Amino acid sequence: MYTNPVITMKKLSVFITLLSITSLGAMAQNNASPYSQLGIGDLEDGFYNRTSGLANTGIAYRSNRYLINNNPASFSALTDQYFTVETGIRGSIVNYYGTPVSPSSNQSGDITFRKLIMGIKLSKHWGSSIGLVPFSTQNYEFNVPYYLQGSASEIANHYYQGHGSVNKAYWANSYEFFHHLSIGIDAGYLFGQLDQKDILQNPSTGASLTSTTNTVDLNNLFINYGLQLYGKLGKKWDYSLGATFSNKTDLFASTNRVVLASDSSTLQNQELSQTYLTLPTTFGVGVSLTHKQKYTFLADFKHQDWDAVQNKNTYPGKDYTLGNSNKGSFGFEISKKKTFYNNKVELSYFQTGVYYGTTYLQINGQQIKDKGVTIGFGVNSLKSPLAYSIVFQYGIKGTQANNLIQERYANFTFVVNYGSLWFTKGKKYD
Amino acid sequence: MTINNYLKKGRLFLLSSVLALFYLVSCQKQPTVTFGSTYVGDNNGANIVVVDTGTVNMFTVFVDTTATAGTGYLQVGNFDDPYLGKISTRAFLQIAPPSSPTVGVNDHFDSLGMILLFKKSNPFYGDSTVTQTIVVNQVDTLYELPAFSSGFNSRSSLSIDPSQLGSTSVEILPNIPYTSQGAGDTVRIRLADTLGLQLYQMIYNQSDTILNSTKWLKWFHGLCISPGASSTGAISGFQDSAIMRIYYHKAGVYSVPAFIDFNITNRTYQFNNITKTQPVGYPLHNLILATQNPQIPPATPSSATVNAGYVQTMNGLNVKLTFPYLNDIAKRPDYLSVLRAELTVRPDLKSFNTSRPLPPQIEVYATDLNNLIGSPITGSAGVQTGNLVVDFLHPLNMVYTYDVTTFVKAQIVNTDPNAKLNGLMLSMPSPSGTTSFARAVLADATYPVNQRVTLSVYYISLYPHN
Repeated sequence: MYTNPVITMKKLSVFITLLSITSLGAMAQNNASPYSQLGIGDLEDGFYNRTSGLANTGIAYRSNRYLINNNPASFSALTDQYFTVETGIRGSIVNYYGTPVSPSSNQSGDITFRKLIMGIKLSKHWGSSIGLVPFSTQNYEFNVPYYLQGSASEIANHYYQGHGSVNKAYWANSYEFFHHLSIGIDAGYLFGQLDQKDILQNPSTGASLTSTTNTVDLNNLFINYGLQLYGKLGKKWDYSLGATFSNKTDLFASTNRVVLASDSSTLQNQELSQTYLTLPTTFGVGVSLTHKQKYTFLADFKHQDWDAVQNKNTYPGKDYTLGNSNKGSFGFEISKKKTFYNNKVELSYFQTGVYYGTTYLQINGQQIKDKGVTIGFGVNSLKSPLAYSIVFQYGIKGTQANNLIQERYANFTFVVNYGSLWFTKGKKYD
Repeated sequence: MTINNYLKKGRLFLLSSVLALFYLVSCQKQPTVTFGSTYVGDNNGANIVVVDTGTVNMFTVFVDTTATAGTGYLQVGNFDDPYLGKISTRAFLQIAPPSSPTVGVNDHFDSLGMILLFKKSNPFYGDSTVTQTIVVNQVDTLYELPAFSSGFNSRSSLSIDPSQLGSTSVEILPNIPYTSQGAGDTVRIRLADTLGLQLYQMIYNQSDTILNSTKWLKWFHGLCISPGASSTGAISGFQDSAIMRIYYHKAGVYSVPAFIDFNITNRTYQFNNITKTQPVGYPLHNLILATQNPQIPPATPSSATVNAGYVQTMNGLNVKLTFPYLNDIAKRPDYLSVLRAELTVRPDLKSFNTSRPLPPQIEVYATDLNNLIGSPITGSAGVQTGNLVVDFLHPLNMVYTYDVTTFVKAQIVNTDPNAKLNGLMLSMPSPSGTTSFARAVLADATYPVNQRVTLSVYYISLYPHN
């Protein structure tokens, strides 16, 4: 492990600032997801970190080098005086199936920046992390032929278009008690903008008849709590139990609505009074078992209580309802380590995972399900402070039944981690 | 290798990787997704609402005089219309002798005739299988405008000699065209020999009356071509190139047939006199007529004329439509703006057939409380004439449609107390408005939904949100 006497705080802060500014824009773009029109879009359930190859199973995961933002309690596991920066990028290809999808145009692809986070072990028991991560994304474009109100024969085409994202800037801290218990709190600030357009078109010419653009600015605090309990089971096994919890949270929104006529003249430009969406109470539990510091088995379960906030959230579509969301995942990891000066240093690791869950959307009587597998491989460079991982994920979301759209997606995630020791008072390891 | 070199390489790699990938971020495309029409939004965005059930009041506006002078056609015929009543029209015209006509001492007079021409595009209304009687009389009074009058019109008339100069019965096939006289598109009427001989002698004598057109017009006055009293079923519009012709033989080794033509003159003074009666039992019997002169053209509500409005512009009939509750739409809480407005005017299905065709064009104009024809209501292609499609197999498709967006946009926010009297006037455009007896019986709002006049207002709607 290396210290970094060259990179000063100033240089690092410039780099991080630039990256943050760029990432805010880049995070907003993502693949089409027709059902992301609802609420604040698709809630992000990936962490783009060490657990990505484990199907994001990591509520109980602890790492001394990587930032496991699955659970804020995990940051206390960082090596003392260790500073780390992590960023993740995802390439994705999605194929869409179902009656509403045109067979000639059923694929979408993108590459998006997913996160930028930093962590530091401030004291022997106190780990801290700040970062910018996606919270939800919205990106849809679809057509709905629609009978004009008052007519049983005339149709206009609603061309719905929405883009945007809600991101989370957070500061998370965790503290270790009794060498076996870590408690963490993740204080996040949610913010973002959703641009939603509804363009009524002449179905034969495609000319715009009228359009409504809602620009929704969202923000509020969002607190996530975490806990980890860990220790040894005999001489060969290590265990860890984890839990996370976040209370239901009102997400404030202010909307600017602009209605344009067919000649693009403004018919209405209105600031709507503040309203909100309500995020549900969420909890997750996880378990991790490691054998001989080499083989790790993990399992997670997460639950979102959308039923309880259904009356506070309105969504378009007469056949749309909200339902509780549950997700279970399993992961398995093989870590290859080598001993240097009586210290075990990880050289590389291999991961795989599976997941299955229900999203919070019920459409046409069908709750949208999401399932898939992941495979990951990571390398820790011995000659630089960098570590890399590559994860492949294949999943199926939704169904083609009841005139719905099924998404089959393949994701490639590339995570880069930079780490060094700070405040070493002159101690070097080279 | 030093630590610094490692770090520089590391940073360079990290930076270049991230920046390169950011360039790729924009590479994305959307699938084409079309959801079914069962999707219903939550009215979060603007929608289009169609209002086609608004009240449309229909009136028949009657103008007692119409322009029938110098139209280019001599309209002759009687027509008994089950809706409009009995219509009769006759043509008055002046003729003039050729300049410097001469006949020889040994030449001899044969006959006098009237030649009327019917071309294919000439107006014809009625039953083409009916034999028509055409009568020629001489005007027996000065052919001049009445006092304080600027021109002849449909009510103008001149006194005629009750004794006929001649008549004929003929069947006119307007679409060929062909007449039963076997002379192509020509109708020939033999006129009285007494007049013919008189004119022949005057030419022979080089009478001043023949040589001086002013004297001629004061002496001869003019002609009236009218339908026979018993003739009914059709009105024919002859060319205004009618000729009165003296037939004679030129003397010589061989006698040679010759003729002298008296051509129509002062075409602006040629006019058609139209008379009509609406006896009890005819829908227009209750038509409100003007009682003063001048007077605003009276408008008769469709309820008084068998729930219909009548357009026969040449006969003084136009239809006015008003929309008394139009601006109530603008008071709706969701109303933002008119997107477009379309007027659909439907003729009574029983009122037209191939013998009583619809006017191919009915133009729409603005009108107000004075019931006069105002500016044309233009659409995207300019002046609108209804876009009638002739389809007797599907008569429900035979409708007149108009883009009246500009009118509705102005009217819907018009809060003037007289705004409810503003409306649209349907009238046949020139030249058919002065030459064609085609007529439309337009169904008012009491007819079934798909057979009545409809104003469809498409407005942009946005339900208020807090």
